Amino acid sequence: MIALVRTEFVKAARRTRSLVIVALLIGLPALILFAIHRRAGRADRGGDRGEGLFRLAHQSGLLVPAAVLSVMSGFLLVVIAGTIAGDSIAGDAAWGNLRYVLIRPVSRVKLVLAKGLVAGFLIWAATVLVMVAALVGGVLFFGAHPVTVPNLSAFGGTGALSFGFTLSSSALVLRVLIATAYVAFGYSALLAMGTFFSTLTDTATGAIGATIGVYIISEILNSITELGQVRYAFPTHYLDAWEPMFTGNTYPHDMIVGVVVQLVYLVVFGAAALVWFQRKDIRS
Amino acid sequence: MSDSRDAPVVAVEGLSKHFGNVVAVDDLSFTVARGEVCGLLGPNGAGKTTSLRVLMGLERPSRGSVRLFGEPVRAGSPQLARVGAMVEQAAFVPHLSGLLNLKLWWEADGSRWGRADLDGALAVAGLGDAVHRTVRTYSQGMKQRLGFARLLLGRPELLVLDEPTNGLDPGEIREVRELIGRLTEHGSTVLLSSHHLSEVEQTCTNVVVMNYGRLISQGTVSELIGSSGSVYIEVDDRERARTVLEAIDGVRTVHLQGDGLTVDTTAGRRSDLNAALVRAGLQVETIMPTQRLEDAFLDLLDARNTPGAPIGATS
Repeated sequence: MIALVRTEFVKAARRTRSLVIVALLIGLPALILFAIHRRAGRADRGGDRGEGLFRLAHQSGLLVPAAVLSVMSGFLLVVIAGTIAGDSIAGDAAWGNLRYVLIRPVSRVKLVLAKGLVAGFLIWAATVLVMVAALVGGVLFFGAHPVTVPNLSAFGGTGALSFGFTLSSSALVLRVLIATAYVAFGYSALLAMGTFFSTLTDTATGAIGATIGVYIISEILNSITELGQVRYAFPTHYLDAWEPMFTGNTYPHDMIVGVVVQLVYLVVFGAAALVWFQRKDIRS
Repeated sequence: MSDSRDAPVVAVEGLSKHFGNVVAVDDLSFTVARGEVCGLLGPNGAGKTTSLRVLMGLERPSRGSVRLFGEPVRAGSPQLARVGAMVEQAAFVPHLSGLLNLKLWWEADGSRWGRADLDGALAVAGLGDAVHRTVRTYSQGMKQRLGFARLLLGRPELLVLDEPTNGLDPGEIREVRELIGRLTEHGSTVLLSSHHLSEVEQTCTNVVVMNYGRLISQGTVSELIGSSGSVYIEVDDRERARTVLEAIDGVRTVHLQGDGLTVDTTAGRRSDLNAALVRAGLQVETIMPTQRLEDAFLDLLDARNTPGAPIGATS
């Protein structure tokens, strides 16, 4: 199993696409950092105040990762995670290489697990890379100060700020770590669905498109409040549940529910991928 | 791993494979004994590739069984380590070098790279420094040669080759034929599917003929060709040879043709005709079937292509 994981990791990591993703994951936080810096300048001159994490980020570089994550977790990281997961098995099939992997005495269950583990690792690595890039850039630009967060619920239409709470540097670091882990784990459903779709088709783009498509549909449906409690079961519903750690000084209960929802998707679609792939005729 | 040395290397018993309503393989049975070079012949859609995929554990049989070295084959079966296979065209991870492709493939099941026959495999591939280039820069012929290197890494006891010369130029086809010959000299068993009947005739000792997913004929190449019953003979005295041959049971006609005679016979082997001529004091210069494998193959298909035969099998 370790050998299989190692070979699958080398195959995934040595792609040109991986280098492009790394460049994006470092470059985009840098761009966002630049935007925060500019916005901070305008705010100092009494201009655009913005709101939420994006507005607060200039107070401390330790808050920049949270601001970057709030921007990137809903789309770019979804696209990257969906690409990694959807390509995991269908990519090999599209190259015609899958049949050669499977004419080795290699268990199909182990192969799916190895590919899933590698995809999961890469998704976590992508999330961590974004956070590290944002943290390093943020601290360099704005320092590592404590943050005083106003009562953001009072923003409303008046623009008047009431006193909120202060997050120490150590509290910020801890919450950044928790947010990183939560968001990375929040792609577990996407990982499992992507791997499952990847066993269904020999076309990598099809599996990737289906995976990302499910997330986009989930996001659209999640925005329709009339759907009520049904939305709680959507894989994207709790994706932003970590934000109140920074804006409300709480560890939201929704994060625990979010983890449970992701676990359910992981188990259901992971099992479906294993069962389907074991029975599948390899025709690619 | 249990293994009976007496068991056929390949044993296919009552194999059927359906894709929905399409019957790709229908009650196919054949065996390949140790050391045989067996050609799997059939027109497009005969079910050859499907049969080989089931043999390699890539597809599940709808009915029947497939055994390798006496053991049933399933996905990931341990006896697959004793098989080198090329199923359709060789394919690799395009962004990795040829050498890294070989290494990752070999190590996937935990095998140590040091135990692979890398030198032997690379000698066969003959890719030189190109083995360090990414595979996406390879021609199809180079990929096929790298594919041969891959299947030889484990010094396989059985080679399963599905159209192995596709995409190769005539020189490369000849190299492949010679390679198969060298491997069989070292005791490897070969199951070879090919459209090139001359290649099969020159390479194989035995033949399995399929059509519409069914077994049409199985035997040695000479039996298959010999069953056509037409033999060309050159001797020092054609008239006396004609008299001798016409006296043999089973010989229907003897015609003078060119420098020799054409004999149409319903029974017996060429060696029997040869023996009769030698006993009569004649010097036999040439004795060979007038038909090639291609003729015999087409005759077989014509004979079995009965109206109402199932159509739509996939290969």
